[in-house]
Amino acid sequence: MLVFANPAFLWALTAAAIPLMLHMFQRRRTVVTPFPTLRFLKAAQKRSSSRVRFENFLLWLLRTLLLLMIGFAFALPVLRSTTGGSWLSRTRRDVAIVIDASYSMNYELDRGKIFAICKDAAVSIVNGLFAGDRVCVYVAADTPIPVIEKPTTEHATVVQAIQALACQHGSSKLDEAVALALHTLEQQDGRREREVYILTDGQALAWQGFRDAPPEAAARGDDRARITREQRDKVSFFALLAGALQPDNACPTDVKVSPALMLAGQTARLNVRVGRTGAAKHVTVAVDIAGQERGRRSISTDADTEATVDFVLSGLEPGTHVATVTTPQDALPEDDTFQFLIRVRKQLPVLIAGPQDATRYLKAALAPGAADESVKQAEAAEIAQIDLRDYQALFLCDAFPLDGQTVLRVEEYAKNGGVVVVFPGYRAEAGAYTELKILPAFPASTVDIPVELAARPLKRIPNQEGQVVTFSLPLPPGTVPTVALKRVMTLGELQEGSAVLVTAGDDQPFMAGRAVGRGRVFLFTVGANRDWSTFPLTAFFLPVVHQLIRQGAGASVQPPHLTLGAHLPVNEAVPNYRDDDAISMPSGLPLAIKDNGNRTFFIDTLPEPGIYTRAKAGAAEPEPVLAVNTDRFESRLTPAGSDELAEWTGFKKWLTASDPEELLRLIDEHRNGRSLAEIFLWLALLFALLEWWIANRALRAQTGATEKMKVDLAGKVVTS
Amino acid sequence: MSKEGISAYLTPAQMSKLNRLALNSRYVVEGTLAGRHRSAQKGASTEFADHRSYMPGDDLKRIDWKVLGRTDKYYIRRYQDETNLRVYLLVDRSGSMGYTSAEHPTKFNYACTLAAALGYVVLKSRDAVGMYIYGEKMDAALPCKNSFNELNNALKILQGYKPAQGTAGADVMHQIAESINRRAMVIIISDLLDDQPEIIKAVAHFRKNLHDVIVFHTLDPVELNLDLKRGAEFEDLETGERMIADPRAMAKEYKDLMGQFIEDYRKACSEMKVDYRLVKTDEPVDTFVRAYLEERKRLSR
Repeated sequence: MLVFANPAFLWALTAAAIPLMLHMFQRRRTVVTPFPTLRFLKAAQKRSSSRVRFENFLLWLLRTLLLLMIGFAFALPVLRSTTGGSWLSRTRRDVAIVIDASYSMNYELDRGKIFAICKDAAVSIVNGLFAGDRVCVYVAADTPIPVIEKPTTEHATVVQAIQALACQHGSSKLDEAVALALHTLEQQDGRREREVYILTDGQALAWQGFRDAPPEAAARGDDRARITREQRDKVSFFALLAGALQPDNACPTDVKVSPALMLAGQTARLNVRVGRTGAAKHVTVAVDIAGQERGRRSISTDADTEATVDFVLSGLEPGTHVATVTTPQDALPEDDTFQFLIRVRKQLPVLIAGPQDATRYLKAALAPGAADESVKQAEAAEIAQIDLRDYQALFLCDAFPLDGQTVLRVEEYAKNGGVVVVFPGYRAEAGAYTELKILPAFPASTVDIPVELAARPLKRIPNQEGQVVTFSLPLPPGTVPTVALKRVMTLGELQEGSAVLVTAGDDQPFMAGRAVGRGRVFLFTVGANRDWSTFPLTAFFLPVVHQLIRQGAGASVQPPHLTLGAHLPVNEAVPNYRDDDAISMPSGLPLAIKDNGNRTFFIDTLPEPGIYTRAKAGAAEPEPVLAVNTDRFESRLTPAGSDELAEWTGFKKWLTASDPEELLRLIDEHRNGRSLAEIFLWLALLFALLEWWIANRALRAQTGATEKMKVDLAGKVVTS
Repeated sequence: MSKEGISAYLTPAQMSKLNRLALNSRYVVEGTLAGRHRSAQKGASTEFADHRSYMPGDDLKRIDWKVLGRTDKYYIRRYQDETNLRVYLLVDRSGSMGYTSAEHPTKFNYACTLAAALGYVVLKSRDAVGMYIYGEKMDAALPCKNSFNELNNALKILQGYKPAQGTAGADVMHQIAESINRRAMVIIISDLLDDQPEIIKAVAHFRKNLHDVIVFHTLDPVELNLDLKRGAEFEDLETGERMIADPRAMAKEYKDLMGQFIEDYRKACSEMKVDYRLVKTDEPVDTFVRAYLEERKRLSR
């Protein structure tokens, strides 16, 4: 809406009639000038009349417009965009401020960190409000955080809250924060102007939610998470896109460690992925282990892409090592370091539970030397007193029936990543095995095999696509393993996640496996001694057992690093967790671990990046158990343009600024209107220049007739 | 006491600059006295012309004895006759010749001065000069004389005339062409602002009578370029007609038209072998005459 701050000057618009009056006046005041002949004048006038008329009209138009523009300029026109703001912008308003708190807001510009700039801008916005205006503040993080949830007129409190804000370690979802802010404004009573200020770095990622969910789709669903078409049309949105136009950042985004299960003496290979935002550049990547640099390489990264670099680490001692990959410090130092753990094991400890005669062959195979401490034999009744976390695999050889406590311990052990291998025996009937619910299949009965049918070739069942538990024993070419069966256990229906891995002959299951939690459970249909078969005597008995241990151990290896997140099952993050373990965050605070009721523990949230430690009950020193990093998805700083954002958001009243001063100017123009006087004066100047140019075009140096005809001193005419 | 005659137009210094110049005809002329211009007649001079068969009564001294010795026939040697030049100055005093832009003389005054300068140059060469003054009609016809007193008298008569109201240049020129009965030089000093085809026909009439014709097309610089800054109501000097115009707006078209007008005259004169010269009234007469005569002398070599 156009209004005039100085309407008295509109009378000056009558001056626009002056050119016309002057023109008419001049036509009457002509001076009589004798001329030799009018014949050429008449002809010239005839030829030029249309052009002259047009030029005269143009000059009159320009002069009239020039005076109109000057008159308008002095009347101080103001363009207001607010419908209710016509009374000197004193309309009350409800304001929501949404501040992006993703870690990319820590990007350092010449004038400071973007987050600090946005906080200052938020303070300026609040200070610019009138006394009755209400304001609420939300922080856009992975989930929106209400700082001032209910709009308030206590601006000093709001300013204090804004100044106390700290940047988060994660990403931000502006769409959810804006939706929540709009929902809050919607709940307020009274008809007020509604304004939403989004203070961010302009990173396209934060707006991804708007882009993925077009306005029509977002209009459905929960009230608190949707932005209605009406809101998009009626609410005024201001965005401060304070980030760098061409951000420059390089950071390690992921590290892969192989092999997953590291034993002492093995060489570790690191595959480091480096993300790049900005132009192509050489980036130096360094690897430290326990504070000592173990490698440094320079790689070439293309613009806005990722590159990988490999490192080889050898000579790692048994234990858990804290490793760090770093890139050179840049404007966003938060993502320049990537931490992870390398767990190196001396050996794979095994517990064999069962009577002596059932475990003899197995113990002899795994621990041929009496001094080998990695293999322990115990009675089944002792399992409840043993800390199973110290063992990589548990063999139950003719150990059934088990008491209830032992069954619980074994099941928990398997779910937390342990390997349980079951060999049947004479001590228990088939029905006794059903107590252990984690078996791949429940035994149905035992069958004696006639001598003539005893010899059976072992056949490996190929792994199926999507099969969780797998088995792949490589055998020498031409080797056909054969066993002689005396007695076997028949199996019932396979449980969920189970598969028959080896058969004896064509149809007799020999070994079945099942994935349970993070662990594995294997069930043989023959005993572990020679009473049921010749299997313990064959050459492939030991390789099969070794592979089961290793395969299970590989499946239960903890990841070298995690990303910040919430509701993480603890057995996926912490190996062999027990509820009396104390896990501390990098800041020293205890990590909250909750029980969902049936002894399934989960981490409520991993709130900060760094190395988490565990103190076992009775242990002297805490050990590192978790390396947590920020999700490097946020390190992709590619900005989005104002037009793109307008398209993604679908906001109708959409104003963007690249710095706080421009934002405040836009706010002022929005509330008080934008003065058009300067534009009118520029137009007046333009018209004046045009008028001068057209009016004096005829006076510009033109070639005279004699010069054109080349008349010499003696009067000779030489026309071209 | 106001100056009269040639002193009204030329200063002694200007006359001094014109002293050593001569106006030569490019064609043969027929004068009344012996002079230095080629005549159409055969007569006594040193320049051989041709042979003619002897006829009784011819002077025996003119028989070419060498030819008689070779051919055994009598031939008379004839020589080119040389005569003086008769120059007629046609001064236009039509209404349009009364125009002047601020600081320059009127075209008529300029034409008078040019006539005085040319007459002076002709008489200094011992040739004869005559003058015709015309406007709407023939105003004065002064015969050719090779006397400064006659030129002075003619200029006094010219001094007595003012630009007329109208013009009838073509008719008068035809009349003059009929009245000059022997080959002579005809110099037309005019702005030629008349019916152009008729004027060209009149000039052609002079050429038909084998006169050596020079046209001094006299124009004011403003008339050429329409270099006026303000709009005005223009009044035709000959018809009295008026029109309001903005000269700045139409300058380009005017110059194109004026250029075409001059070009038409130049072309027509070139085809008739008439020496056409454009004279601007802002140039000093003596400078122009000197430049013109020197160029003419150079071209005649």
